[in-house]
Order: sequence, then structure tokens, then C-alpha cells
Amino acid sequence: MDAVVKKIIKEVKKGDQQAFSELVELYKDKVYQVAYRMLGNSHEAQDIAQEAFLRAYTNLDSYDVNRKFSTWLFRIATNLAIDRIRKKKPDFHLEDHVAGTEDLNYYSQIATEEELPEEQVVKFEMQEWVQKEIMMLPPKYRSAIILKYMEDLSLKEISEILKLPVATVKTRIHRGREALRKRLRDS
Amino acid sequence: MACKNEYSILIHKYLDEEMTLLEKKKLENHIIKCKDCEGHMRELRKTVAIVQSASHIEAPINFTESVMNKLPKETNTNRWKTRLRKHPILLTAAVFFLVFVMSISSIWNDSTKEIVVKGDGHFIVDEERRVVIIPEGETISGDIIVRNGNIEIEGEVLGDITIINGEIIKSDISNGENYLASAGHVAGEIHEINQVFDWLWYRVKAFFSDVINFIN
Repeated sequence: MDAVVKKIIKEVKKGDQQAFSELVELYKDKVYQVAYRMLGNSHEAQDIAQEAFLRAYTNLDSYDVNRKFSTWLFRIATNLAIDRIRKKKPDFHLEDHVAGTEDLNYYSQIATEEELPEEQVVKFEMQEWVQKEIMMLPPKYRSAIILKYMEDLSLKEISEILKLPVATVKTRIHRGREALRKRLRDS
Repeated sequence: MACKNEYSILIHKYLDEEMTLLEKKKLENHIIKCKDCEGHMRELRKTVAIVQSASHIEAPINFTESVMNKLPKETNTNRWKTRLRKHPILLTAAVFFLVFVMSISSIWNDSTKEIVVKGDGHFIVDEERRVVIIPEGETISGDIIVRNGNIEIEGEVLGDITIINGEIIKSDISNGENYLASAGHVAGEIHEINQVFDWLWYRVKAFFSDVINFIN
């Protein structure tokens, strides 16, 4: 995998733009997932995920080939997402669950149109719950929890992505976990 | 709940999978006795499991295309460069062809003056008439190539005859329709090459038969 990625990056650096599409194919789901989980709606998620790839392309020369490409890419994506969250902060409150309600409409539409098997309804509800609760977390816990439990990354990788000491990442994950646990118990 | 803090740290260590065996034993022993900590740990594990179970989301269809469409445009020269880089055989072929054409044309241009004969055996070169004569009774054992001149065969040629920029002359005019009938004996094939394209074609054929010989 790493060797393949290195080869593609080499080709892109030489000027083969088409090779970049292979990189996008490889990482689009992961990057999109981070963006979606951070922002809570598909429109912004797509925006940020695309922007992350564009930045990766234009700044490819500053990427250190000896490091993991995904770490670098995730760093760009999480930074963009956090910037976006900061920018929109004044005009929304965490309690509004803007993203949560959007999802709710979407899912409830599906549910009314066709009878879903019990299991799937439960799954949708759980999904909805998870996303809603993650959106309630402060962004700094949110990014740590997403990277740890949704992207399945190691503490070391997360610390590189967020440019934070491992100990800080741990604390954020612990706090995020506790916050989610309390909400789960209360719900 | 006096135990809370100390064991809370241990529980998180457990969830981070960073426990020493000793710590693990300690936590296990405590949890059997302490309902609060047991509940706390169960809830945290459940939370983690739920978050992990959130199925992976996929990027929308056409995601890659829309990213690619937004990339800064490649210049034409760059595109050619990459194409050549991606298919080095193209470049090799182009260079090879260029060299080939140049060498052929230089040979063709060079060789308009002198008569050149390649072959084993006795023959006479008549510079004035620009004729190569293979006298009666003589035998050319292999192929013979004559450039910039004609050839008159009275003897025998066992191989092929190739005449570039020239032709076979009937040695005995009275003797009929065919130079083969009139002249000596030719065992191989006769090629007369008088056009650049013929010449090129001959070179190409010769090159490939050389390659095949080489491979064999």
C-alpha cells in the first residue's frame, strides 16, 4: 500500500495529473468520513473533503515522502473542518443540532416511504444518535474521538495528525468518551 | 465513590489497551467488588462499541471526478511530457526512426558517385561503363551487392544479387529475351533497387532479417 502510494505521488510530482485521481480514489471515503463526522452534514462534508484534496495537490511538494501520506492528508482535512466549525460558530448553537435535524429529516423520509426491516431502523437510529452526540462534543474532543474510533487510528498517528503530544490526545479521548457515556446513560 | 478517580484512570488505560498485567489484575479485582466502577466500565465499553459500529460512510459518487475537475489545468507541453514519460517506448521509437531515416538518407546521398561491390569471388569492375562484370567461368560463392552500377553476369552467382541504383545488363544481345537465359547462372534472387522507397524497403527488410538471424 505504502509503496503504491509513493509511486503515485512520484508520478503526480512529475506532472502526471491523472495519477492524482488514483490517490483520491484511495482516500476519498476516509477523508469524507472525517469531514462528515466533524461537520455533520453532507454538503459541507463534500466541500471540505474536496478542498482537502485540492490543497494536498497544490502543496504536494511540501509533503515529506518518508511520512505516511494518510497522516498528512488527514491533517489537512481536520484542520479545514475545524476552521469551518470555528467560522460558523457565531450563527449556531450546539443545542440547535442543525446537522442532527437534517439527518433526522432525511432518515425519517426514507422510513415513511418504505417499510424498513426492524434491524435497519435500529441501525439508522443508532447512526443518527452517534452522529448527533458526536456533534455535541466540543470540536477538540470530536476530532480525537472520530480519528480514534471511526478511522481506527493509533494514538501516535492521531497525535501526528493533530500535532499534539500523545498525552493530550489521550486526555481528549478520555474526556470525549466520558461525555458520550453520560449522554448515552441519560438518553 | 472514593475509588472513582484512581480506577477511572485505570479504566481508561484499559480502553486504550495500555495496561500492564499488574494493573489489569488490580482493576479486575476491584471491579468484582465495586458496582460503581463495574457500571462505569460497562457503559464506557458500550459507548465505544456504539461509536465504532457507526457504519463507515462513503464519499458521494463522482467525488473523484469533481476533485479532478477542480485541479489547476495542466499545460499542453506538460501533458506531452507526461505521455512520453509514461510510454518511454514512444520516445525510443521516435528517436530510433529519426536516426534510421537520417542514416539511410545519408547513405543514399553519399553513394551516388562510386561503384561499390560486395561479394566473394572474382569480378571485374569497369569504371568507365560503370559495370561490374562477372567473367565466364568465374563463380561468386555468396551474395553480391552492387551499388551505383550495373552488373553483367557471364559466370555464375550462387547467392542473391542486389543491385542498387543500377540494373542487370544483358551480356549477349543476340541471345534472347531473358538475361538469365543469356547470362550465366544465378542461383539466388535478383533485386534491383532504384528508388529511395525501394531502397528504404530493402533496408527495413534487411534489418529485420538481421534481427531474426540474431535472435535465432
